[in-house]
Amino acid sequence: MGYDLHFGWTGTIGKVILGATPGEGGTRKTSYSIGGGTTLPFLELNPLLRAPLVALEICDDPEYWSPIIRNYCGDLVDDVDAWAKTAETVYGADLVRLYLTSTRQRNFSDIASVGKTIEAVLSATGLPLILEGSNEPRIDSEVFQRCGETAQGERLLLGTAEAGRYRSIAAAALAYNHSLIAQSPIDVNLAKQLNILLREIGVQREHIVIDPYTGALGYGFEYSYSAMERIRFSALKGDTDLSMPMICSAIDSLTIKEVREAEPSLQDEMAVQWEFYTGISGAAAGAEIICVRHPKTVMMLKNAFASLMKGAGFPEVN
Amino acid sequence: MTDVEMAKKNGETHLKTMITTINHPVSYDETAYHLPVSFALTGIAVHDQKAALDVFEKTGNNPLVALECILAERTAAEGRKPAPYTGFIDDTIIRKLGYSLVDGSILGLALVVGTPSGADSASAICRELQEKYMLTFLAGDVVTSLSAAGVKVGLEYRLIPLGPSPSYGIYFVDIIARVAMMFGGVTPGDVQRLLTYARERAKAIVIVYPGLTDEEIAFVDAMRVLGFPILSLGDYHGSGWISASPDMVVRRGMEEKGIRVNITAIPIPMGCSPAFEGKSIRKEEMYVEFGGGRSPAFELLQMNSADEVKDGQVTVIGPEIDRMKEGSAYPLAIIVKVAGKMMKKDYEPVLERRIHNFVNYGEGSWHVAQRDIIWVRISKEVVAKGVKIEHLGKLLSGKFRMDFPQLLDAVSVTLITDEAKVLEAKKDAEKVYEERDARIKGMRDSEVSTYYSCTLCQTFAPNHVCVITPERPALCGAISWLDGKIAYEISPSGANQPIEKGAVINTTNGEFDGVNKFVKKASHGEVERCSLYSVMEYPMTCCGCFECIALMLPEVNGIMIVNREFKGITPSGMTFSTLAGTIGGGAQTPGFAGISKNYILSDRFLQGEGGIERLVWMPSPLKEELKMRLVKKLTEQNKPDLFEKIADETWATTIEELIVYLERVKHPALTMKPLV
Repeated sequence: MGYDLHFGWTGTIGKVILGATPGEGGTRKTSYSIGGGTTLPFLELNPLLRAPLVALEICDDPEYWSPIIRNYCGDLVDDVDAWAKTAETVYGADLVRLYLTSTRQRNFSDIASVGKTIEAVLSATGLPLILEGSNEPRIDSEVFQRCGETAQGERLLLGTAEAGRYRSIAAAALAYNHSLIAQSPIDVNLAKQLNILLREIGVQREHIVIDPYTGALGYGFEYSYSAMERIRFSALKGDTDLSMPMICSAIDSLTIKEVREAEPSLQDEMAVQWEFYTGISGAAAGAEIICVRHPKTVMMLKNAFASLMKGAGFPEVN
Repeated sequence: MTDVEMAKKNGETHLKTMITTINHPVSYDETAYHLPVSFALTGIAVHDQKAALDVFEKTGNNPLVALECILAERTAAEGRKPAPYTGFIDDTIIRKLGYSLVDGSILGLALVVGTPSGADSASAICRELQEKYMLTFLAGDVVTSLSAAGVKVGLEYRLIPLGPSPSYGIYFVDIIARVAMMFGGVTPGDVQRLLTYARERAKAIVIVYPGLTDEEIAFVDAMRVLGFPILSLGDYHGSGWISASPDMVVRRGMEEKGIRVNITAIPIPMGCSPAFEGKSIRKEEMYVEFGGGRSPAFELLQMNSADEVKDGQVTVIGPEIDRMKEGSAYPLAIIVKVAGKMMKKDYEPVLERRIHNFVNYGEGSWHVAQRDIIWVRISKEVVAKGVKIEHLGKLLSGKFRMDFPQLLDAVSVTLITDEAKVLEAKKDAEKVYEERDARIKGMRDSEVSTYYSCTLCQTFAPNHVCVITPERPALCGAISWLDGKIAYEISPSGANQPIEKGAVINTTNGEFDGVNKFVKKASHGEVERCSLYSVMEYPMTCCGCFECIALMLPEVNGIMIVNREFKGITPSGMTFSTLAGTIGGGAQTPGFAGISKNYILSDRFLQGEGGIERLVWMPSPLKEELKMRLVKKLTEQNKPDLFEKIADETWATTIEELIVYLERVKHPALTMKPLV
């Protein structure tokens, strides 16, 4: 007896393209089309659908980055180009997510440096880039304009738009043909509302990736899981305002109590495990992109996803 | 006076002749959109006379097309005009301009053309446009006039000199056409989408000085189809051009196009944030107080026409705070005047209630109650920092504009502290309160065809849908039908959506086809039917915020109510919190309903079960709270003795005691049609 793996759903998750190869007008070695799902993760029978992508998060000013990463990567974290290159060649990431933490210094005004950093990272790695701009409304407009312009043609994923603060990112996405991350605080209705706001300003569906906001496993992830599940159910039931791919980044995984207070010899492993299991859970909830900061987590997740993909679909039950 | 209609006809004929004389190739290098206006309108790339004539004909001899082609040819033949004129603007710059528009750092676009009578007039208008975050394009003598007045022009000043004659204003239309194609997803040749984009998205206005030729008038007038208001500074009449005086022209244009300056900071010497809302100012902390039974005080918000409200104006009549004695009470009138294209008289009371929140947002200002029973205090701490009565006005006008940007274009505040004048103004205010009461009171569910939903609580009660009607406020008591209506108008994609009630399914229970359809969709298919006035059959779902719970007591054939504040046991054998845990979370539980306190006073209350005669028990504090209004209501309905027949916890805390009580007072519920 067979099972209907679509449970009567008719909706499809929209596709978003990240990165552009030279043939597509960019300079990336590869580009990804994410989304396209028609049922829950790892139940898909369509062999063309890819496993969730794994992004390594890096930054251009590591002052407040987790010491665990500095301990593991060493001086690499002081050289953002080399870090980006290593993410691709050594750590095996699918994507690089660059946080422009330099813009988060007090009274930051060196907008030109933003452009230089982006150019350097784009030439250091051939992976498609997720770019996290400023965190300060005062400079948003200039920073995102620069991000969009510098990487024109590369089909970036720009982050992060929120309900009160989305215009600059939307403008950069619209002006220079990038996609953007739309983040809402663990709430299906707010996620939908932000998508509608973005649509009203002119951002097309195929340029939006939903960030439902994720806490670490045991630290609020359960709420995120539930919100993600409901976003995905609504999408599969045909709600086109929610049928975008999702991105999941539980950045607090490295700062939670269990990791902070772990025995020094075990701390690194504890951090990786926590990121790994949070990442697995995020993928199970439906995320198409999982972001991590510890390089060791990257391949662990990729292997796990590959193995889950092999078992896709239900076995025939008699 | 120039007759626009006449000049236009003449100009159009002339343009038609001119376009046939094109013989040089026409094109610009710095764009991928050919001649952008022609390209956007028809999808045809114009590079020579043949294509130009083709597009001209296809667009019904459009003067914009003619002028674009003619100017392109002239530029190709004669070269660009020297600085400061920009002439045709490159795609890369347009992309940046478009970015600023989407981003909100530019609010809108203005084109100023013609010959100003003196240098000062143009510079005042342009300065006002700069201050209001408008990106201004200039064409014709206005540019030299500005230079003469020492005004700097250029992209960085948001004053862009397109060219030496008004016909260079065509680049203004060209820019909008390209922005529509780059940002608005408008496909070249899709006229309808282009027009919609120009009308609804492009926030553009045109200001016209005298001195235009007939062709230039034809060109300016052709922009009306794009939805740009044409504001004339004299000398023109007809064809829908709006006459305006130089000091009003910018404001008039922005209003006409619905362009609003957003307020982001309120300049007062104290903090202002919802974070301060919950504070209190005790007697020993207070510098002065107003009202609260100690002195006459009231507040009133009314709408006025745009000319009568000067935005941001605050007037204090009577002594300021530095002439008030510490620790004493003074009279106060807070009179807020608002104006806005979308504003309606119905919104007045709802907005007036916000005075309460806004005053409490102030770090050192405190407010309770409403209308003529308000009580306001200002703390010593902030008076020491320099806060005056005037700043309450600044706070109010700023917050109203900030929180209702779509609704309000202008807000002014008058604060009166002179006793005689307060008392005089209060008489007028009381008349307004009475009129409002009569209006709201008169509102019936049957008189409106649209109800409003509230799904705010879906955050934690995923399938809960509140249906709000004039006679049934949201079960939390916080949102009335008018609030829902305004919330929808202010935020059309928000949690309050209109519900067309549709065909009646059951009048008594208040079940409507349209409501059912909406509830089914909004509850994600979980709830099929919803009756608005029944506790027994398909009652509304409950989130968790209900002020009260109404539930059936089968033993006495009646319905009891318990409010959130009541901690004791009820005749149902359960407390409020136990009951709340049973019915909340978005479920539909026949026999139970979450309700607001005000709904108890509604004529629709328990209509499905036979009306308020079903009400057998409620806690005494709630009974006391509703007493005056409920007794009045019951007297009107000719059942003045029912109020005393409703039991409370002083008579009955168990079902047995309740039965004894109800039988003793001969409660009507006992003999009504069986509930189950």
